[in-house]
Amino acid sequence: MTTLRKWALAIGLFIALVVDGVCALYLHQFMTYGSFAASSVILPISVMLIGLFDDTNDNEIWLALGTGIVADIYFYGIIGVYTVFLPVSCWVCQKIARFLPEVFCARLIIILLGTAVFVAYSWLIFNMLGITTASVHVLLMSILVSLGWSIVFFILLYWIWGNLAQDYPFLVDLNAYRV
Amino acid sequence: MKKFLQNKKLLSAFIIVVVVLAVLGGSVSLRNRRNTPLLIQSLGNDIVALGTRIVDVPVSLVSGGLNSAHDILNTQEENNHLKREITDLGQTKARNSALEKENRQLKAALKLKDTLSGYTMVNASVISRSPDTWSDLLMINKGSAAGIKKNMAVMCDGGVIGRIVEVSAASSKVELLTTTDESANRFSVEADAANGKTVHGIITVTSNNNLAFTQVVDGRKLKAGTRVYTSGMGGNSPKGLLIGTVTDTTRDSFGLSDQIRIKPAGDISDPSVVTVIERQVAN
Repeated sequence: MTTLRKWALAIGLFIALVVDGVCALYLHQFMTYGSFAASSVILPISVMLIGLFDDTNDNEIWLALGTGIVADIYFYGIIGVYTVFLPVSCWVCQKIARFLPEVFCARLIIILLGTAVFVAYSWLIFNMLGITTASVHVLLMSILVSLGWSIVFFILLYWIWGNLAQDYPFLVDLNAYRV
Repeated sequence: MKKFLQNKKLLSAFIIVVVVLAVLGGSVSLRNRRNTPLLIQSLGNDIVALGTRIVDVPVSLVSGGLNSAHDILNTQEENNHLKREITDLGQTKARNSALEKENRQLKAALKLKDTLSGYTMVNASVISRSPDTWSDLLMINKGSAAGIKKNMAVMCDGGVIGRIVEVSAASSKVELLTTTDESANRFSVEADAANGKTVHGIITVTSNNNLAFTQVVDGRKLKAGTRVYTSGMGGNSPKGLLIGTVTDTTRDSFGLSDQIRIKPAGDISDPSVVTVIERQVAN
């Protein structure tokens, strides 16, 4: 049971990865504005929230790296999109969390910034590889649509990841600190 | 240079960027070259696909329920349309049966075993989609165990929607026709022109994400509504799979060649069940 508690965050991220793909499939037709589409950003938001809620656990950066590799292999078959963004965003969020007020709105702003960076970064990588030829105008519009959806995902995920990250930190047994 | 080498943080960042680029390039090259992914990659795909199938069950039930409610609202309209169609169906079936028989006899007479138009089908469910807007990838619940191979054509709702790009044991990835991936294989297609001749070309995607029939010698002879089929000349897909219908013909931005826009026949925006096509004639 203790082992399961230590790995609860990893199991949660696996479920987030799966739900991200399923949401992208079923919500794809609704996640558009005109000819501009939004990205499903459940996984990046989840990792950023973990970083914001638990800024002391370095293990979570390694967890983000592992999740990134699995996500890249499953979604694209190429490694470098989630593999880079997830650990970097987790690390940056942990650094920011040390001076950021622990309130909903402040965290929302960071998540929105992170989402915009993620959409731009994935566009840059796919453009570099020749997988997409979308223009900067399309990128900017897609970021705006993605930001709208990321507010929805943020509201839905905030308390889930808040509780998970604080009660079940990755590879840390909180019971060892309790008398 | 000496300052750069002495700055450990800068040097580490530089090494990380180089490693990331190398991994990215290596994985892309591996994906394009290999017919099957590495064992570890295949295993990872199948484990996540298994998790996706479990999550997919309740979600598809809810989605199916909503679709059913939508269908009930459209029942009357659909019924009237089907009644009109059914009057032609009997005659078409009888003609089709006679032509099939004649085709078999002619093939036997010519001692033809397999032709470009022969194929077998594998049905699969779409379980997931890539979350970003830049790559058009779907994940399906059938893989090499069901006989699926890389580059097979994938159909949905009576039209081609894409091709297989990666095959694991129990899942596969489908790249949609609308992908702007420059390294993606293109379907070689044909259509019957107004003067009775067959026009050949390939399917590409225009800058505004529409399908286009390009590399055509004389596209002006293709009228709106002409059906475009795969020609089987590309070596991967069989002949005669419907791609879509011609909507209009224009000149490209340089005014040098014809650009024929195509309305896809398959359901590209919301595919839930797909058919993977294996052509009988070997490449």
